[in-house]
Amino acid sequence: MTHRRWFTPWLLVAPAVCWLLVFNIWPSINTVVLAFTNAKPLGGGHFTGLANFARALDDDQLTDALVNSIVYMLVCLPLLTMLPLLLAILVEKRLPGITFFRTAFYTPVVASAVVVALIWGWVLDDRGLVNGFAQWLGVVTEPVPFLTDRWLLLFSAISLTIWKGLGYYMIIYLSALGNVRRELHEAAAVDGAGPVRRFWSVTVPGVRNTMLLVSVLVSVSALRVFSELYVLSNGTGGPGGRDMSVVMLIQLYTRGFSGHLGYASALSLVLFVITIGPMLLLLRLDRKGS
Amino acid sequence: MRRYWSGLGLAAVVAVAGCGLGETGQQAAAPDATVTGEVKGKVTLQTWALKPKFTAYVQGVIDGFERKHPGVTVEWLDQPGEGYSDKVLSQAAGGSLPDVTNLPPEFALPLVKQGLLLDVSKADPGVTDEYVSGGVAAYTYAGFQGVYGYPWYLNTDVNYWNSELMTRYGLDPKKPPADFDELVAQARTLKDKSGGKVYLMSRKPELGDLVQAGVKLMSDDGTRFTFNTPEAAALLDEYRAAFKEGLLPRDVLTDTYAGNAKLFNEGTVAWTTGGGNHITSLAVDNPSLAPKVVPSPAMGTPPLYVQGLSVSSRTKNAPAALALARWVTSPENQAAFAHLVAVFPSTKASADDPFFSKSDGTNAGEAKVMAFRSLAQARMLEPVVLTEAMKKLIRQQFALAISGEVSAKEALDTAVAKCDELLQN
Repeated sequence: MTHRRWFTPWLLVAPAVCWLLVFNIWPSINTVVLAFTNAKPLGGGHFTGLANFARALDDDQLTDALVNSIVYMLVCLPLLTMLPLLLAILVEKRLPGITFFRTAFYTPVVASAVVVALIWGWVLDDRGLVNGFAQWLGVVTEPVPFLTDRWLLLFSAISLTIWKGLGYYMIIYLSALGNVRRELHEAAAVDGAGPVRRFWSVTVPGVRNTMLLVSVLVSVSALRVFSELYVLSNGTGGPGGRDMSVVMLIQLYTRGFSGHLGYASALSLVLFVITIGPMLLLLRLDRKGS
Repeated sequence: MRRYWSGLGLAAVVAVAGCGLGETGQQAAAPDATVTGEVKGKVTLQTWALKPKFTAYVQGVIDGFERKHPGVTVEWLDQPGEGYSDKVLSQAAGGSLPDVTNLPPEFALPLVKQGLLLDVSKADPGVTDEYVSGGVAAYTYAGFQGVYGYPWYLNTDVNYWNSELMTRYGLDPKKPPADFDELVAQARTLKDKSGGKVYLMSRKPELGDLVQAGVKLMSDDGTRFTFNTPEAAALLDEYRAAFKEGLLPRDVLTDTYAGNAKLFNEGTVAWTTGGGNHITSLAVDNPSLAPKVVPSPAMGTPPLYVQGLSVSSRTKNAPAALALARWVTSPENQAAFAHLVAVFPSTKASADDPFFSKSDGTNAGEAKVMAFRSLAQARMLEPVVLTEAMKKLIRQQFALAISGEVSAKEALDTAVAKCDELLQN
């Protein structure tokens, strides 16, 4: 019989615990602490109480950023929850050449968000492919300001996010659809249910938990969007900076030697709170639905 | 549950203690000391994106220094162009700033505030006599006694015109615009004749343009911004009118500083500003365009761009660090560097070098001579206290003003208020 020392289990979990403390817990606590100071990257700063939060309430750029992030979420949430499911149902069928389509839909996911945004930037630019083609066809006389109008830029970024996310969530749904029992579909068909009815009565309840997971993932990603807006706006945040997301605003205040870490940390807390909100709401809806 | 919250509270207290927060205010700058002592031992030199293009030159300078001072070993670090400020920031925060570091004045200021750089005028009194006053002034900061860097090389902007586009659309490249009114007039001609396909103007106004219009950017004590004046509003209104007339591409609303040069290099716009070496780099990017470019002196006061070498106040080898910084920025070494790339020496002894004052007859040579002559009037147009966040906020407000979304006065007031807030926090 081997004699086990009391600290053996602790030794085994110590590396993971240390990792968590140093790289997760400590930065989180530090962010909360910094939010109540006017700290600078090179040290210094002092406790300022709720001054950063008072400043945030008064910051019209934060208001714009919150509106942008919420619009982003409200548009992306239904589209990226339903479209990938329909796509997954389409590519689930065992047909010759279906692998090609699965791969094609998944390709944008593999590409870097920055590279994809750069390419879309060239496509949507005033002198880009879309405007050139539209003007050649005579559909428009002036270039459509996809990247220089506040709302068009925001919706261009949203389109890019949806295009890039379709394949990713499609794969998640594909694995969930494999768990929906075929007998249920057959029974529904025998009862006279058509494809649409079977979709709503069999498929959707079968992948309900996955839909919830996808909704949470989409909401969080949409609220934390950065790359698409940053690259499409050339780092400027759109005309007058009105297309900034909250993450872009945080980045603005953390850059350089004179970064305003206190205010950026306060904005991070605001982002954390608004990110937690939709998650809790979705979980509550799920419990109610159950 | 109560134990959980008290644990969290304790963690927060520990965190506060760990943050080292406390009243710092403006720290005393580097300690006063005239540095003397033997030049020997190890010393580190950090440059900014000079490898691989200038590896041979820098290595030659280092070899020369090591030959001059046997017993000295120079460790050369070169950081990539992207993210240099973040790299220096992490070195400064981690206490690992190299002995000698290439820092432009705006990078040096935050380090001066933390007492991390040596006052080289105290340690090496010759600095104010041997380097040009503009270069020395760039490393002299309000509220701090002394000079915190050896000026290394200088540059300024000249105008570059695409003569082919100008000729094709009814303009004379030999008579380019000399002021803003002429610029707008010629931009109108170019737009009309090209049917709006080509632009002359392609950048938003910046703080430097406000200075040209006679606007004072900051109060004398450097504690607040003052550029929300009627003159500044009038200039923004002129830009707004030009934008509304279609004399600038819509992209300027979301443009970055490089956007203007990029459009010029693509042959989409007919005017850009750049350093004395712009045609040389253009010959690489667009060889067919480079010969068609005509330079002209900058409109108004030319901007001064300064690079310098600063010495860490925490160096363990101050004699060697100071000697190295002085050696790299010596007239001979600066002249050799300026022969490789169109930058200009910061030492007074280099002023008579015919290499800078005589053109070889090419357009690149003309631009170099023009830039060199402009240096006498050039000055830093933007205050060094401007942070990246401030610059971005100003650009955003200017974009709103020229797009007509807000009035020029409102944009300027907002920009000043936001910059003041950042300056005071």
